[in-house]
Amino acid sequence: MLFLSRIADLIEALAQRHRLLPWLLAYALLLTLPFILSTLFNDYLIDLANRACLFIMLAVGLNIVKGFCGQVTVGHIGLYAIGAVTSAVLSLEPGGFGGALGFGLSVWVSIPIAVIVTAFAGLIVGLPSVRLEGAYLALATLGLGESVRIFIAVTPALGSSTGLMMIPAPSIGSFVFDSFTSYYYLVMTAAVVGIYFSFAILRSATGRAFQAIREDTIAASVNGINVMKYKLLAFVLSAIYAGLAGALFAHMPPGYLHHNNFTVIEMVTLLLMVVLGGIGNVWGGVIGAIVVTIAYDQTKDLVVYFMDRPIVIQPLVFGLSMVLLVLFMPRGIGGWFEGVRRNRRFIQRSEEKLGDAARNS
Amino acid sequence: MTLLETRNLSKSFGGLQAIDKVSLKVEQNTIHGLIGPNGSGKSTFFNLLTGVYQPDDGSHINFDGVNITNSPAHAIAGLGLARTFQLLRLYGELSVLDNVMVGYHPHTKYGPLAPLFNGAAVRRQDKAVKEEMEELLEFIGLADHAEIPAAELSGGQRRLLALGRAIAMRPKMLLLDEPGAGLSPVNVDSLMSTIMTLKERYNLTIVVVEHILKVVMTTCDTISVLDHGQKISEGTPEFVKNDPAVVEAYLGREMADEDIRAAMDA
Ligand SMILES: Nc1ncnc2c1ncn2[C@@H]1O[C@H](COP(=O)(O)OP(=O)(O)OP(=O)(O)O)[C@@H](O)[C@H]1O
Ligand SMILES: [Mg+2]
Repeated sequence: MLFLSRIADLIEALAQRHRLLPWLLAYALLLTLPFILSTLFNDYLIDLANRACLFIMLAVGLNIVKGFCGQVTVGHIGLYAIGAVTSAVLSLEPGGFGGALGFGLSVWVSIPIAVIVTAFAGLIVGLPSVRLEGAYLALATLGLGESVRIFIAVTPALGSSTGLMMIPAPSIGSFVFDSFTSYYYLVMTAAVVGIYFSFAILRSATGRAFQAIREDTIAASVNGINVMKYKLLAFVLSAIYAGLAGALFAHMPPGYLHHNNFTVIEMVTLLLMVVLGGIGNVWGGVIGAIVVTIAYDQTKDLVVYFMDRPIVIQPLVFGLSMVLLVLFMPRGIGGWFEGVRRNRRFIQRSEEKLGDAARNS
Repeated sequence: MTLLETRNLSKSFGGLQAIDKVSLKVEQNTIHGLIGPNGSGKSTFFNLLTGVYQPDDGSHINFDGVNITNSPAHAIAGLGLARTFQLLRLYGELSVLDNVMVGYHPHTKYGPLAPLFNGAAVRRQDKAVKEEMEELLEFIGLADHAEIPAAELSGGQRRLLALGRAIAMRPKMLLLDEPGAGLSPVNVDSLMSTIMTLKERYNLTIVVVEHILKVVMTTCDTISVLDHGQKISEGTPEFVKNDPAVVEAYLGREMADEDIRAAMDA
């Protein structure tokens, strides 16, 4: 704990020198991760790191709408699906396998279009938030999210039950991002930039407006905040994260996606990341995404036998963890860490004051 | 000059006429008191003025030359009408500094997407705003608590912060809903003197709802009295104090209570 706090102090000291210094340092360290993972372990872990980066983007984006702005949404995976399928279909060659739609666009074109499409979808998911709150909003967004998945599942042009295959990988000249390691640099960069922007939003009038809405909608409107506009903006921003994560997922090796990637279980997993990290806490969300991605990987084949029937217990484990977290650690890892640091700073400042007073007397 | 004017302002909740055809003028640079027994509609009146509630048909509200009758709350705030709430409604999890920074929102000079496209401008302006807000906190005596979440403040500090957040909006007019509620008499006096200083410093027009009649009588230029949603009296403190309608509806009731208490004590 003290160690973590020291690191946080160190980062603050670096940031004093130049705002971007901690970011560049972190980025440089992250560049070496594939070598460390493949040397110490194996390439599979790089794939896991890639998936963690996608979930970091999802969690950080979800935090904007849920954590900053306080709007309950459980349709986020639907947006992720829209980003993935849109970019896949736009980049696939026409007349592809199994009647899948294809437009043959460059991946560098299909990804931005997918992000824009998802942003619009986010606006639609956000519309119920103008009238609904809490559990009602959760149900509305869940409905929208699930209907996206079902639509994909029954539409052959979007892969239906076979899924979309041979989705092209991005390339620059003759270099193709089709290995775990090369793709890692793409998703890791996107994740770092995403985290950076999320802080930029949080620490601006925009972020303060989101939080004011979360804390007290009426007070926020009386403080001059256009509540409807900012709610929708939060949904759109978080959809941009989901859209980019989805699109990057589609083109990630092996270039295959299936509607099973976008189920309610995925949604629960994502929520678990945000809750574990601490709702509204950016770094918490990042840590939550990493921890839960690893936990997900470790438990996905876990079965117990009940009356000689194998039962996959991962959903049970995740659901239970969620309940326990909400009950016993509602502020998650991030909230707890913040509290500790705030107290430390308060004590430090009081001591400085006492010191000053002693010197002055 | 008249800064705020209502004509036939009405609001009913189902069968209850909470505000009943209230016409009222507030002159610039005055302190206007609004009194009345519990449930007489004072808070509802503020909610109508600030767009928290929509008035009934036939109502008319004019603020600083603009018809704001059906304007949304955020637009009214943007015109320079600020308020505090009876139950404060602070942003509990946000720091004290962030609470007043939110108050500054109507004057933000960059667009909501600027953090993504123009981080430098955002940082530059936020730095200036932060300094200004720290000065404000210094002035109201909360500078030492700037980083603490609002929810962790004491009752008196919370009232000060509510005031600070409204002042941060740089308003032309400030509506205060029972600013002294729950404070000891000494603290109420010091709060009132803070309010008077703020009025001079920021050139404010103030409408204040207050239950402590002594405070209202000594600080207000004009007083309006509500009872059952209707305006039953208006004038100088001296006039209102001696108006039989007020004595009957308000002071009378209080005195009756005192009579009962005196009788019980005896
Ligand atoms: N949202 C609402 N829905 C229904 N009734 C309401 C609502 N808001 C206020 N009222 C009713 O309107 C009447 C006036 O209430 P209001 O809060 O304006 O009184 P007040 O003068 O501020 O009282 P107090 O001195 O106790 O604060 C009360 O009878 C109250 O119950
Ligand atoms: Mg009231």
